[in-house]
Amino acid sequence: MMNQKQEHDQVVVESALSKIGKSLSSLIKRLFGTGIKQGLSVLEEEALQTPGKTILKNFLRHRLGVVGLICFILILMFSFVGSHVKPMDLSHVETALRNIKPGTNYLKYPSRLVREGIKQISSGVSFSVGLSKAGKLYVWGTEPIYILQGVASSVIKVPETVQAANIVKVAAGDRHVLALDASGQMYAWGFNNFQQAEIPIPLRAKLASKQVADLIGGEAYSAVLFADGELYVWGSTMVNRLDIIPQEYQGHIVKVAASPHNMALLLDDGTIAVTGIENAFKNVPSHLQGGTVQIVDVTASYRAVLAKDDQGQLHIWGDVEHGLLTIPEFSGEIVAMDSGKNHMVLLLDSGQIICWGANHYGQLDQPRRLTNRQTAIHVDMFQSYAVGADGSLTAWGNKGFIFGSDEFGRDLFTRLIHGGRISLTVGAISVVISVVIALFFGMTSGFFGGWLDNLLMRFTDVVMAVPFLPIAITLSTVVAGRVPEMYRLYMIMVIMGLLMWPGLARLVRAQILLEREKDFVLAARALGVRYSNIIIRHILPNIFNLVIVNITLGYAASLLTEAGLSFLGFGVAPPTPSWGNILQNAQSSAVIEYYWWRWLIPGLLVVAAALSVNLVGDALREAMDPRANEK
Amino acid sequence: MFRYIVKRVLSLIPVLFLVTVMLFVLLKFMPGDPVRMMLNPGLKAEQYEAAYKAMTIKLGLDKSYPEQYVKWIGNTLSGELGWSALFKRPVKDAIAEPLRNTIVLNIFVIILDLAITLPVGIKCAVKRHSTFDNFWQFFSLVTYSMPSFFVALSLIFVLAINLRLLPPGGMPIAAYGKDLAYYLSWLRYMTLPIITLTVISLAGTIRYVRNAMIDALSQDYIRTARSKGLAEKVVIYSHAFRNALIPISTIIIGTIFSLFYGSAITETVFAWNGIGHVLVKALNNRDFMLVVSMNLFFAVLTIIANFVADITYALVDPRVKLE
Repeated sequence: MMNQKQEHDQVVVESALSKIGKSLSSLIKRLFGTGIKQGLSVLEEEALQTPGKTILKNFLRHRLGVVGLICFILILMFSFVGSHVKPMDLSHVETALRNIKPGTNYLKYPSRLVREGIKQISSGVSFSVGLSKAGKLYVWGTEPIYILQGVASSVIKVPETVQAANIVKVAAGDRHVLALDASGQMYAWGFNNFQQAEIPIPLRAKLASKQVADLIGGEAYSAVLFADGELYVWGSTMVNRLDIIPQEYQGHIVKVAASPHNMALLLDDGTIAVTGIENAFKNVPSHLQGGTVQIVDVTASYRAVLAKDDQGQLHIWGDVEHGLLTIPEFSGEIVAMDSGKNHMVLLLDSGQIICWGANHYGQLDQPRRLTNRQTAIHVDMFQSYAVGADGSLTAWGNKGFIFGSDEFGRDLFTRLIHGGRISLTVGAISVVISVVIALFFGMTSGFFGGWLDNLLMRFTDVVMAVPFLPIAITLSTVVAGRVPEMYRLYMIMVIMGLLMWPGLARLVRAQILLEREKDFVLAARALGVRYSNIIIRHILPNIFNLVIVNITLGYAASLLTEAGLSFLGFGVAPPTPSWGNILQNAQSSAVIEYYWWRWLIPGLLVVAAALSVNLVGDALREAMDPRANEK
Repeated sequence: MFRYIVKRVLSLIPVLFLVTVMLFVLLKFMPGDPVRMMLNPGLKAEQYEAAYKAMTIKLGLDKSYPEQYVKWIGNTLSGELGWSALFKRPVKDAIAEPLRNTIVLNIFVIILDLAITLPVGIKCAVKRHSTFDNFWQFFSLVTYSMPSFFVALSLIFVLAINLRLLPPGGMPIAAYGKDLAYYLSWLRYMTLPIITLTVISLAGTIRYVRNAMIDALSQDYIRTARSKGLAEKVVIYSHAFRNALIPISTIIIGTIFSLFYGSAITETVFAWNGIGHVLVKALNNRDFMLVVSMNLFFAVLTIIANFVADITYALVDPRVKLE
């Protein structure tokens, strides 16, 4: 019964495949007009079908082989087409976005928020908090915290007490959220590694007696600005000392613009004071210091401050990175200004929006359909939101990472695409090198024999005697010290190529020994054909099948070897990505446990690539086996 | 037979010579200055220079390369493998414990490997293209396509971290002396590395055994045996399997010698203090004397393994002509 069913299945699949084959071949026949119309009998087939065609037919009959081939082509396209579509900046890191799990919903705001009317939106690294005019709080995006036990509570899940309260103000830090309700009660939740998501006791007393003007969520710190101009900062302030606010500023602060290491304080005399670590942020232009220019608004990106004076003039200072200091040309009055971590956004009275700065996550790619009048902007971290005059909400910026991000905040998806390009190329070139050496050694020693054979085979023995992985990592260390960083990639190809050939060389030699005794070689010799021609034109085609199968299986092996070498840190050197070195930092149990996407996804890709190549190789071997054609 | 063995031994000499020359060149090309690594960096300039010269002479680095090579080989043959800068003791002593750990680990791997592959390989060959065979063929292809670190990480993720059944890595500690619990903890620490190494080595062996068995089963004497009306069991085990054992014996010998090979990747992932892990540590710490000694050890081991396999092959297969 079972056998019958299997046979039946096989017949169905074979007939389907042969139908495809037939329709293809009939198409070709019709196109070129030279075909034999009738089906072929066994004898005719024998006489007319070229070996290549037989192999192709046998291969197509092998279901797993075809699946493997399709998978491999998909992986090739993923890497090679993908790396053109999605270019990568090797030097780009964004530690704020480190270790965020897969998710592409950073900008997918709930429609209820829009229906209720948007009052305020604030964003963290991978999520945003929206406050509706009804006092309801909505959080959307991807959970940025993994080690929840003890040090944190979920950011995405709004605590029940907050859901019940009538919230009037909200602020998102990088991985935590602050909220204030109408009765002056404050709430905080999310990552709490520096107690930034707790309300300190001194603050509680102040909250009870004073009106809050603004909440500020920074990178691992929080701040509250009171209506009387007093500022209170807590959380991660050990390095930046943001919690120390000089007494002459306290009580005069109107607005706070926060960056991870600094705060730009707008004072009630129209000047700007900067606290925090010493950097370009602190170089407030001298013409702004005397109080002759009255500043009315201020906003800050990571390393630059943008200020607007009462004449509507803009002043900017800080680091030149990302071209933040060059404000694009525009005409019109500025209605609002806001900034993300590395970009700045202006809203003009015409309802138009101007963005400039870094564009690694599409922060500047405001949608084209943003032609209607915009009335408010909410920009934070890498996300930008604009509210239209009709109450609609438009979002652009970082949509998220489909495969998550790594320890430097780089997009794993992009790195896998480019790493695939490197890994697949390294594997291919090392196989080519090894095959060329193997063919040379195997063919010369097999055909000429004698002392040359002896010499070459002893040398093969030597290379075979040194165990592959230990010598490969040793060579890699030795060569790495003598080769510039940019050539390390070629080095690893050469090392692998130089060590992988002995097996194939022996196989080729054995095959040549068989072939050279055959009559056609004798005939060629008798005709006076040159040795090199006998080898290349008469013998080589006969061992071609063997070589092809070996190339395929060797390719799978070298993909795995590259991954292993790079995993140990002896292969492709970071920051150049390869599937193996993406996994290099995934050895700690914290990564294995919490940041599973960082090892599981690259690992699965390596397995998929090697398996598909092995399936093709296996199918090819069976297709090329002359015994497979016996009837 | 004796002449064949002598001839094979003699042919090993050039191979050994070339391997040692290669490793010597490698040693000389290692980055870093071995003399400076031995000296106390706190010395004053003149003292340092004098000490440097003295150490150069003491290490024999003032001599020409051929002389250094001869001295190195002499030392190696007499068991002096040099000084490990990483472990601050002779290489010989530094390797001893890791080697023991690797052997202990590999004993289990080999037993498990052979216990699974031999029966499975035979059954696959006998029931060719059955569901059983197809399953193992596919399984071996999948494990064959897996990098060992991926198997290791997956095992740690499932068994050590999520189910908390086994430690994710490390070495057992004799906290309360070497009692029964201590030896049992060896098993606990070894389980994951053993599974990883077995899964990785299974694939190749199963396919090899299956192919050897298929070859044996397709011989004419099997047809003869069947036509005589012998029981299928007898045909398979005493006719086919015994003959399939000839090629299989090669792989068994290879497996037995693999007892001494440390797996660099698996041991590193599981922080198992074996010889492969020590190699990686030595390379990361630029302890090149240790690295070269271990490579030499591995190379000699491979040469001996190949030699023994050849001799065994000649012994068990009467068809092999001894020239």
